[in-house]
Amino acid sequence: MSLIIDGLLAILAIYLALQSLLAPRLTQSVFLFFAFGLALALAWIRLAAVDVAITEAAIAAGFLGVLFLDALRDFAPRIPAKNEAVQKQYSKSQTKSLFLPRLTLWAGLGLFLLIALEAVWKIPEGGGLTAAAGTLLPESGVENPVTAVLLNFRAYDTWLEMGVILIGLLAVFAAGGKMAYRKPGVASQDPLLRQVILFFTPVLFLFGAFLLYIGKTGPGGAFQAGVLWGAIGILLHLGGWPFIALMPRWLGQLLLTVGLGFFLVLGFLFMAAGGALFEYPPAYAGILILIIETLAAISIAAALSAIFALLNQIGEEADEIESTT
Amino acid sequence: MTHLPTSSFPALLVGLPILLATLSLFFGSKGRAVVGLAGSLLTTALSLIAIAEVTRRGTVIHILGGWDPPLGILLRIDPLAAVFIGMLALVGVFISLYAWWYFRVREADTGGLPQFWPLWLFLWAGMNGLFLSNDLFNLFVTLEVVGISAVALAVLSGKTTALTAGLRYLLAAITGSMAYLFGVALIYGSTGTLDISLLGQVLEPGATTTFALLVITLGLMIKMAGFPFHFWLPPAHSAALAPVSALLSALVVKGAFYILLRLWMEVFGVSLTYAAGQLIGVAGAVAVIWGSWQAFMQTSLKLIVAHSSVAQLGYLLMVFPLLILAPGVTTDSADWLSPAWTAGIYQVISHAFAKASFFLSAGIIIMALGHDRIESLRNLVGNMRITAMAIGLAGVSLIGLPPSGGFMAKWMLLKGIFLSGQWWWAPVVLTGSLLTAGYVFMLLRLAFAPAREMDTFRPVPKSLEVVALLLAIGSFLIVFPADFLIQFLESSAVFGSGIEPIMEGGEYGNN
Amino acid sequence: METYQIYSLTSAVLFVIGIGGVFITRHFIKKIIATMIMGGGVFLSFVSFAERDALTFADPVPHALVITGIVVAVASAAFALALARRIYQQTGDISFSNDK
Repeated sequence: MSLIIDGLLAILAIYLALQSLLAPRLTQSVFLFFAFGLALALAWIRLAAVDVAITEAAIAAGFLGVLFLDALRDFAPRIPAKNEAVQKQYSKSQTKSLFLPRLTLWAGLGLFLLIALEAVWKIPEGGGLTAAAGTLLPESGVENPVTAVLLNFRAYDTWLEMGVILIGLLAVFAAGGKMAYRKPGVASQDPLLRQVILFFTPVLFLFGAFLLYIGKTGPGGAFQAGVLWGAIGILLHLGGWPFIALMPRWLGQLLLTVGLGFFLVLGFLFMAAGGALFEYPPAYAGILILIIETLAAISIAAALSAIFALLNQIGEEADEIESTT
Repeated sequence: MTHLPTSSFPALLVGLPILLATLSLFFGSKGRAVVGLAGSLLTTALSLIAIAEVTRRGTVIHILGGWDPPLGILLRIDPLAAVFIGMLALVGVFISLYAWWYFRVREADTGGLPQFWPLWLFLWAGMNGLFLSNDLFNLFVTLEVVGISAVALAVLSGKTTALTAGLRYLLAAITGSMAYLFGVALIYGSTGTLDISLLGQVLEPGATTTFALLVITLGLMIKMAGFPFHFWLPPAHSAALAPVSALLSALVVKGAFYILLRLWMEVFGVSLTYAAGQLIGVAGAVAVIWGSWQAFMQTSLKLIVAHSSVAQLGYLLMVFPLLILAPGVTTDSADWLSPAWTAGIYQVISHAFAKASFFLSAGIIIMALGHDRIESLRNLVGNMRITAMAIGLAGVSLIGLPPSGGFMAKWMLLKGIFLSGQWWWAPVVLTGSLLTAGYVFMLLRLAFAPAREMDTFRPVPKSLEVVALLLAIGSFLIVFPADFLIQFLESSAVFGSGIEPIMEGGEYGNN
Repeated sequence: METYQIYSLTSAVLFVIGIGGVFITRHFIKKIIATMIMGGGVFLSFVSFAERDALTFADPVPHALVITGIVVAVASAAFALALARRIYQQTGDISFSNDK
């Protein structure tokens, strides 16, 4: 029975992935990709990876889905004539002269698929690190093994990854050229939207805090909490309260960097005391990890809402250009 | 590996630049430049001290969090990593000095580009982390740190050409990372470890390992712009700002090569065949010829230099077939391994110096002329003697004429080729050098040609020209410590070793 | 066939769909989606091996790696999206014009 469920879920994921690439309209593509993310989240649950499922739903489907939807404002409705013309032109040139190269390409991909399937089918049993993680779990300061790996056993990866989020924000800034983060104009006049936001802000905050705290013992943690808190920032931005632009510059920078910075400075302090980087005394590991996670969640939330705000602003500039021409 | 002496340097080499990058975010455009330059100088000093420590104590390690591999992550500086870190530090500090003056001059039209310094420090930290890492997944994270900050730097100018080239670069980089990561997943699944040293002992040949080798090599080839995945490099490297072009071409692409070299030598020995080495060698050979020919056909200076990078990276790939021994040959009897390794290392270092100098000089010329069409290089010698000299010296090193570092690389490569009996690579090396000589002398001929009235050279700060010249001179000076360098590298376990394929035919030939 | 094998086979299919999609599709957004599908495949393979290696709990290391990987992939995708939107804004292009 469970094999049938898993098989159907697997087929669904493959179908959604294929369709999101083959769908003729971009809007369909984006929605099918969103559905693909949710199918994957179900697969994570089937595979007993609840932490991964929450992360997938929150970041990969949720946050990225919002970014894609926002991008549709640019790509989907405007000048469809040109897009269609371009697409038509492509399809014409494709059918005309590219038959043989395309056949080779598809044959190559088919062959690649076959050897990929053989590789995963014949994979030897490596045994993994379950036993090693289980033995050392009591020394890690937390009870959820995934949190132990993320924040203690492989804390270095997690720290670098927080660096990647910050770099991603800087990169989105860089893509904006000279454009600085502007203070947008009037707040949204939509009373319904404001009510929704006022309702959701405390709910999201509390749920984020819950995920953060529960991460010590069960599924949850800094990333999931950070995304939920980031959703607050996104909602506030949409409602016309762009809090990052409104707060003093130094405070914004502090929120963005406190997670990465505290993580590193704490590591350096323990290193100066004779340990290794990110080595915590087992007695204090639990509380230190909770502090690190809280600050990390704040930084992730700030970075994600800033990324959304910047991307949203790129769209608004496009709107302005549109209206002036 | 955990028995080796521990040291704080590996942690500091990654932590310090990131700390300074984070700190620089709190400043405005001017303050960031100060923190950025100070950070570059500090990181260089730290790198040199760390290398001195390695020459004294041998390979040092840092066990992060105190958790031994395979559960934890281990950083190590062995002589090979030390050489790459040293190259990054020396070339990086010159690029930083150049960038300092470059952005001051161009402050009016760029606003000082405040994102440059934090991104450059993040990139530096990522590269250091990449050279230090001994863990397959951690290598993925460092690759992403390097990849995202590199693309962000490449699009800083905000011009359409840069943005389009940047998106192409980014998509190639993500595809490469994901292909690499799929290989890592399969290896973890089949061994339960991510530590490179442990994997070297426990990895078993089989269909899964072969496929992991395939996708990891594919991913890294995309990342290092190896033929036929070079398509993203020329537009991205030529459209970026001068200091960025220099660091992308001289340093960033070497990261993926370093991982490829490490993994082929230390992990995948069991799965490599003689044919695999020949195949990657062919990719390198095609890149050498194709890239040099394309460079020869270009009419703008930066595109010449960018296509030349494709060719010079091809030489790096041509080292691999020499390192994989034919059936029946043992490491002890293969006397070409040491020249082949020397060729690879010298190609990496001399190309870093020469290419950085070349791109920085191109930036100076764009600053002076407003564009980089090569017909305007007429009478460069009369107008900008220092830059003309830098281009000449860097060009000589790229061709591989004595007494440059490039000569050392190509000479050792030829020596390795003939000692190993794989003579068919020799014409490629010679043709590549001839084509390189073609475009370099074409540039020099123009530089010495009499001026036409239409082109006027605006004055450019001398300090910029001097930095570019120093890098070009550097590509010659690196020949002098050759004996010391090779001796130092020989104390590393990997240098001078080869792979004795245990399989002669298909995947299961050893059974 | 065991549960993990269904998903590890799926992961290979998704990976190939993604890598093919990156090269074959033309629209920027679809290329970005294709890289994320590739990523989905890779992460699925990690987690399927974690389920295979479960004792009292599933192998936590791949789970942690996947969480890290998802966040990293999303950061890259957000940057790619920013670039695509800027290019569209400046030129009206939705794909690389000289795609070969």
